[in-house]
Amino acid sequence: MTATAERPATSIFRRPRSKTGLWSWITTVDHKRIGIMYGYAAFFFFIVGGIEALLLRIQLSQANAEFLTAGAYNALFTMHGTTMVFLFVMPASAAFMNYMLPLLVGARDVAFPRLNALSWWVFFFGAIFMYSTFFFGTSLPPAGVEGVAGNLPEGGGPGSFNWLANSPDGGWFGYQPNAGPFYTPGTAMDFWAGGLQILGLSSLVSSVNFIVTTFNMRAKGMKLMRMPVFAWMTTVTAFLLLFSLPIIAVALFMVTTDRQFGSLFFAAQNGGDPILWQHLFWLFGHPEVYIIILPPMGIVSEVMPAFARKPLFGYSAVVFAGAAIAFLGFGVWAHHMFSSGITPVAQAAFGLATMTIAIPTGIKIFNWLGTLWGGRIRFTPAMLFAIGFIAMFTIGGLSGVTHSIVPADWQETDTYYVVAHFHYVIFGGAVFGLFSGLYYWFPKYSGRLLDEKLGKLHFWLTFIGFNMTFAPMHWLGLQGMVRRTWKYAPEMGLEGWNQVVTAGAFIIALAMLVFMYNWRKSRRRGTVAGMDPWDARTIEWMTPNPTPEHNFSESLEITSLDHFWHMKYEEDEEGRPVRRADADEILARLEDIGNNPREPIHLPSPSFFPFLIGLGVPLIFYGIVYHTSLVGKGLIVLGALIVLASAIGWGIEPADEPHYGHDDHDEEHGEEEVVEVHG
Amino acid sequence: MSAEQHHHPSPSQYWKIAGFLALVTAIEVALFYIDKELELGAMNAVLLVILSTLKFLTVVGWFMHLRYEKSLLSRFFAAGFALAMGCYVVVLAAMGVIVIRGA
Amino acid sequence: MADVHAVETDHEEHESTGVSNLKLGMWIFLSSEFLFFGALITNYLLYSNRGGFTGPYPAEVYDIPFTSVSSFVLLMSSLTMVLAHNAFSRGDQNGTRTWLFATAALGAVFLGGQVFEFTEFIVNYDMKLTTNPAASAFYVLTGFHGIHVAIGVLLLLSLWGISRARGGLSQKSGLNVEMVGLYWHFVDIIWIVIFTVVYLLSLPPA
Repeated sequence: MTATAERPATSIFRRPRSKTGLWSWITTVDHKRIGIMYGYAAFFFFIVGGIEALLLRIQLSQANAEFLTAGAYNALFTMHGTTMVFLFVMPASAAFMNYMLPLLVGARDVAFPRLNALSWWVFFFGAIFMYSTFFFGTSLPPAGVEGVAGNLPEGGGPGSFNWLANSPDGGWFGYQPNAGPFYTPGTAMDFWAGGLQILGLSSLVSSVNFIVTTFNMRAKGMKLMRMPVFAWMTTVTAFLLLFSLPIIAVALFMVTTDRQFGSLFFAAQNGGDPILWQHLFWLFGHPEVYIIILPPMGIVSEVMPAFARKPLFGYSAVVFAGAAIAFLGFGVWAHHMFSSGITPVAQAAFGLATMTIAIPTGIKIFNWLGTLWGGRIRFTPAMLFAIGFIAMFTIGGLSGVTHSIVPADWQETDTYYVVAHFHYVIFGGAVFGLFSGLYYWFPKYSGRLLDEKLGKLHFWLTFIGFNMTFAPMHWLGLQGMVRRTWKYAPEMGLEGWNQVVTAGAFIIALAMLVFMYNWRKSRRRGTVAGMDPWDARTIEWMTPNPTPEHNFSESLEITSLDHFWHMKYEEDEEGRPVRRADADEILARLEDIGNNPREPIHLPSPSFFPFLIGLGVPLIFYGIVYHTSLVGKGLIVLGALIVLASAIGWGIEPADEPHYGHDDHDEEHGEEEVVEVHG
Repeated sequence: MSAEQHHHPSPSQYWKIAGFLALVTAIEVALFYIDKELELGAMNAVLLVILSTLKFLTVVGWFMHLRYEKSLLSRFFAAGFALAMGCYVVVLAAMGVIVIRGA
Repeated sequence: MADVHAVETDHEEHESTGVSNLKLGMWIFLSSEFLFFGALITNYLLYSNRGGFTGPYPAEVYDIPFTSVSSFVLLMSSLTMVLAHNAFSRGDQNGTRTWLFATAALGAVFLGGQVFEFTEFIVNYDMKLTTNPAASAFYVLTGFHGIHVAIGVLLLLSLWGISRARGGLSQKSGLNVEMVGLYWHFVDIIWIVIFTVVYLLSLPPA
């Protein structure tokens, strides 16, 4: 089938116009479809990263186990970390941001719909690039070093997953010079560095897009302090991305030039300084932690008021605390480096700065508790995950504060205590928050509700499995079990808790199977949600479910925070909310007008170019990996030509064409985006 | 949309601004050679930083029209600059390139 | 499904801040570039006078008169850029085209100067990327600046080409003149910093 139509000479290709089928997804610029694609991709990588974690856990369930070789173990923990951070949590947040941000601020789309599609396709092909290391990557022992266990392609028995050793094995943090050309030759780490570079490019484009969207695309009357908290946290996160990604971009370029072109930035034997990598990595890496956690914080700030049937306690404090966390997040990076030999003054300063982060975080936690206090709470799966978020995140936050005390941190560094800490924050925090959002906003995507019984089962299995997996890691760590080591001796007395941990990991896996079954079942056959299934507060529910392509049929005029709630409820003499008599009529009218717009609505047109640029970018990076060969040079040229030609096509093609073959072709409207290429 | 209506500089003013920029650059280069003869030390560094800041602000303010734009844009721009300065000065201090007395 | 009415209501939503999406996005993007070049300059400052490396340090081989001239060329390209924008806002399509081309040409001269400088350093002084970390830092910093200039030249030439092909730029492309201008001036101010900090103020180790 073709997805094209007759087009005037302004386009290289005929403009895509079909609304269904593969081509419609490839060319779409609809923020909702892009969000859905991000979501499915993120979940796919959640499963992949989860399987990697299970393999690690099988290896650790017994002392001196021979299930994995050391090389395979190194590769698996590297790819587990990289996958979960960059290919699961970040795109999962991006899915919610894409789908929800325009709906939450009352817009038809993001500020730059085509750039949004570009972000997605660059992410998609970047992820493929990263994972293609399993097929093309090589990981060799350091030059002149023979017989390093597990780093050799041979060795290890059958079924020992040694083929995995051909993937990146320098840790998700890529510490230098370990991940440099001398100690980790072969191409696997080049795939890692290039892959992260591409993913960073995608996020940078998104961040600009989201900031402009919140600043410029809000509905009439939607002042900044009337925006839902998730829209706020999206903006704050976008600023964090905007300012931290260029740093990691430079650091990764330095790794690439070290590995590929022989520069000496991190080559300790030639005067390079590995500590520079740690500074640059954590200068990005710590804001990255807040990039991971702030969007889920925004999600639970939406979910809790809806199910406690109360306004968010201290809205402005929650917003400012989020911004404060982001700001302070740029001033604490060296607490990842207390054992790296930085000066006592730096240790004291960064220790103190780290403690101050507990203040805005505490403000948020107390505000959420204040929201629940006295509320008429409905324990739906979304609410359970939100409450689980508060509890688990608080534990993770408190164990994090212990790291700010430098002498304690020296004991904890590189032990399982740290692993326990950040899984409480990332899994107990971010992942619980993301699931909360999935249960809450699922009707916006499907028009149906996720099954509540299965949802509760999913929650309790996750909750129990999660605590079984990660709570014992605290004591394992304090007993001295070190990270990133594939074996421990039986005399160390670590086996018992490790078996509990492994059992917990499999319970989490079971919970995810329940969730996937629920998703599959409810997407087609779940209870029909109607327009306002949760008696919600914010304006994304003022349009039918599933969300129509045009989001809102008429321009909104926002008069207050929780605008939708105030349309439905008024106060009685004692200040209690009472549902207005005409609330159902208001809803019925909104639903009708949402499905049958009174006026024709004009949307941005689909485009081939974001997909093509996304395709071209990894070709350049493949070329850099193999730049010494003719094929590599050819790939660089080919990739660059694809990107350049698509960029020109993009520049010439109008952002939106009101109607193909329509005489009344409005030249004035629509932005023609300048092609932004980040060097 | 068009920000260019209100009293933007005229072409002749642009030429004058460019002349000023060229002059400052000439002074900078001259300073480089004067320093070689007279060993100005820290003075040289301070003067060069002041002069290049002057050029920087002139290009941003007049050529990029930032002084005619909404203050929001200046704030974004200043935020990026201040954050970069702050973070990287601390990195250089922590790595011993910038030495803080007594530390 | 298409109508111009709805477009107009859309249009009001577009600019809560009163600044067009494109311009706001451009300034936000440029502000993040400070972090990008800041990291590269930091990298250079860390290594530029650290003692004990073999081979020439960048500060030992600089040709200040030559670099002063190429800095001057880049500075003047900002003048031609702003004149292009000025000509466009006065509706002078021919002037716009001329000044756009002049800007691209000055940018190309600057790039040529950089190629000459690199060749000089490598061939005459034997200072390669792989010589020492200070040289690595120098080449990567100025190289990335050069890549930014090259992208700017491509953007300018495409605007110039579109203008030639269509006999002028539409109002919509006019916003692009402004955006390319912002990008171009930004690359220029980064060079102002590099010229002072990296060339004039950097010393080899004592």
